[in-house]
Amino acid sequence: MDEEGQKNVEEVLDSANSLRWEVGGNLHEALMESIYGDASRIADRVVTREGEKTRFDWERNLDRLLTSRWTGFPVMLVILAVVFWLTIAGANVPSAMLATLLVDMGHPFLKGLVGSINMPWWLDGLLIDGVYLSVAWVISVMLPPMAIFFPLFTLLEDFGYLPRVAFNLDNMFRKAGAHGKQALSMSMGFGCNAAGVIATRVIDSPRERLIAIITNNFALCNGRWPTQILIASLFIGALVPSAIAGLVSAAAVVGITLIGVFLTFATSWALSRTVLRGEASTFSLELPPYRPPRIMRTLYTSLIDRTLLVLWRAIIFAVPAGAAIWLLSNVTVGDLSLAEHLIEWMNPFALVLGLNGVILLAYIIAIPANEIVIPTILMLTVLSAKMAGMGEGTGVMFELTDDDSYMNVFKAGGWTLLTAVNLMLFSLIHNPCSTTIYTIYKETGSVKWTAIASLLPVFMGLVICFFVAQFWYLLVG
Amino acid sequence: MGNPLAALLIGFALLSLLFLSFRPNKGYLWQWRRALQNTGRALLENALKYLYDCEYKQLPCTLQSLSGGLSISAARAIKLLTRLEALDLVKSQGNALQLTDEGRSYALRIIRIHRVWERYLADETGVPAPEWHAEAEQQEHKMTFGEANVLAAQLGNPLYDPHGDPIPTAEGELPPSLGIPMTDLGKGQTAEIVHIEDEPEEIYAQLVAQGFDVGMHVHILDASPVRVRFALDGEEQSLAPVFAVNVTVLPLVEQSLEEVVYPSLAELQPGESGSVVSISRACRGVQRRRLMDLGVISGTKIKVEMSSVAGDPTAYEIRGATIALRKSQADSIFIKK
Repeated sequence: MDEEGQKNVEEVLDSANSLRWEVGGNLHEALMESIYGDASRIADRVVTREGEKTRFDWERNLDRLLTSRWTGFPVMLVILAVVFWLTIAGANVPSAMLATLLVDMGHPFLKGLVGSINMPWWLDGLLIDGVYLSVAWVISVMLPPMAIFFPLFTLLEDFGYLPRVAFNLDNMFRKAGAHGKQALSMSMGFGCNAAGVIATRVIDSPRERLIAIITNNFALCNGRWPTQILIASLFIGALVPSAIAGLVSAAAVVGITLIGVFLTFATSWALSRTVLRGEASTFSLELPPYRPPRIMRTLYTSLIDRTLLVLWRAIIFAVPAGAAIWLLSNVTVGDLSLAEHLIEWMNPFALVLGLNGVILLAYIIAIPANEIVIPTILMLTVLSAKMAGMGEGTGVMFELTDDDSYMNVFKAGGWTLLTAVNLMLFSLIHNPCSTTIYTIYKETGSVKWTAIASLLPVFMGLVICFFVAQFWYLLVG
Repeated sequence: MGNPLAALLIGFALLSLLFLSFRPNKGYLWQWRRALQNTGRALLENALKYLYDCEYKQLPCTLQSLSGGLSISAARAIKLLTRLEALDLVKSQGNALQLTDEGRSYALRIIRIHRVWERYLADETGVPAPEWHAEAEQQEHKMTFGEANVLAAQLGNPLYDPHGDPIPTAEGELPPSLGIPMTDLGKGQTAEIVHIEDEPEEIYAQLVAQGFDVGMHVHILDASPVRVRFALDGEEQSLAPVFAVNVTVLPLVEQSLEEVVYPSLAELQPGESGSVVSISRACRGVQRRRLMDLGVISGTKIKVEMSSVAGDPTAYEIRGATIALRKSQADSIFIKK
């Protein structure tokens, strides 16, 4: 390049440098806006739309029914109630059948099988009593409700109803700093928190999505309903005359659920104003036209994508849990098993929280699935209270058939009304199960948010149990 | 079972301690971290920034004004100044303090980091406007110059920070300051906002709350010594002069019809429709892109479809799709009926 050219280049660069301040700060935006504008003008010119789509009158009327001031919420509550009722009522029979097949028949059958090939007792115990039983338990309690709940939910989504729910509830969630679509992931959480966390994918704003993920655990999941119902009917229902016992214990379970909903909003509010205040946030919600649900496709995708995915993750985590439960109760140090050592060691701390060592240990080793908490508690109570003739043997989880036998075990464990109340609270407010924790990690890709989502609820649960217990000791004695 | 009363008291005490330590911004932990930062390198860099600011505004700078500007004692200011002189960043001529060339380029690097970070907070995060400045005050001492340049490139090499202050280029170039205070505008004049002073925080927060943003057009309806009445991108508002003086504007020569007051989308009733004129400047970054993705651009027809149970959000028909928008979003979309 000769000297003249060099000089020209410098001149151009100089004037570019001085001009760049004059074009102003909005150049990029202005460019972008004009690109969008050009694109839409070109599209309008070359794209022909056949018979300009109009919204049908019935769609408009249906929208009016589903979103109006007087009918919006009642219709929503009825639809959700029907979904839950179908799930609970419909899951009972297949759950019992699976339990009979896998636990009552499968377990003795396998025991007999390995008995005939002379397997060492410890390998037999570890694999059959530990691993097999916990996997069988998880499948029989988890599979039927999920196989009913998820397809029903997907059908509602496919039809176009769920976006209307988000539309109606957005105002409440907005005040808590969250997105209306969190209503959907929360409802999904009532079925399974891991699925609820996956369902937050519909929320496209980063901050609101994290809020929905972290608070999903406060939606009482399918694995925790049975615990709540059992403890409520044993302890709360027993406080009143038997005529209204059913009603009162149902009210207690609904109360716990509502506490969960309240905590969802309170925690969302607090998170959006503290740790999550800096995350980017946008809002948009499309209300798609109603269309007839594609039933076969829905069944297929909700079974494959949701039910089996979650079930598979749960099984993977149930394997080590089963092994840990069996080992803890069968490995002895001195004349006590590891489990008994841990229970005694945790008892003083647990009593301050109004719980007991058995419950705390059960919650630690049953992290993989809330479904096995009650069987683990029963087994550990029988073990530590040295109840002869109860249960199926050391390290073997079991369930009981009638209320009286449950009461006997719990009384032997030294349970009071306070223990029951705090167990119900702690069951609602503790760390998510490991399937959910793993799913949170998969969805956020961040150790930090996974840690917050796991530790925040357990911290809250411990604090709440502590205050309830101490007030109880102060007032009741 | 021990003493429940004592346990409760200890429990409450621990919870309050946790709250006091970790509550946002005012928590002891954060205060302590900030106090730790206001020493050593950060203090030195703040001094350079302060001196550069004086130079840019052509104000004299002395030891007294330095100690006042950084809110440190005179003794500390003397120690600081000795250090700056030893590093050959500042030289004093009699009473007046002056940056050396090296000191000036150091100051410009810090200012670049500060303003790039503010731009980033405004465009890519949800941090509210009144907090941008304080956050950047922390970040400028943590981030390296190289990291700031990488971030700037990711943001498309922005020229101005969200307050309208020019961002020094990587080579340290900066244009002279332009514009006049909004209070100098006469009745009937129209001007474009080019800068909003971010300090003091209280005044800035008020301006943000009223919707002020760089790039907006302001049309003076009436100006008296106690009150300025004006249309801000079509919306009628008023301010006390003490607030308005913190807004810098460039008067527009050609008076176009654009300055007519436009209604916002939120003012439409169900069944009504209008076509988009513009999206407010205050709606930026991902939020603005999202609206444009949905097809909200100049000329798009929008019809109000229905409102939800609680009245917010509202569903609109935009380009054949039914989209729900919150009131705060609809407020920032200006339309022609």
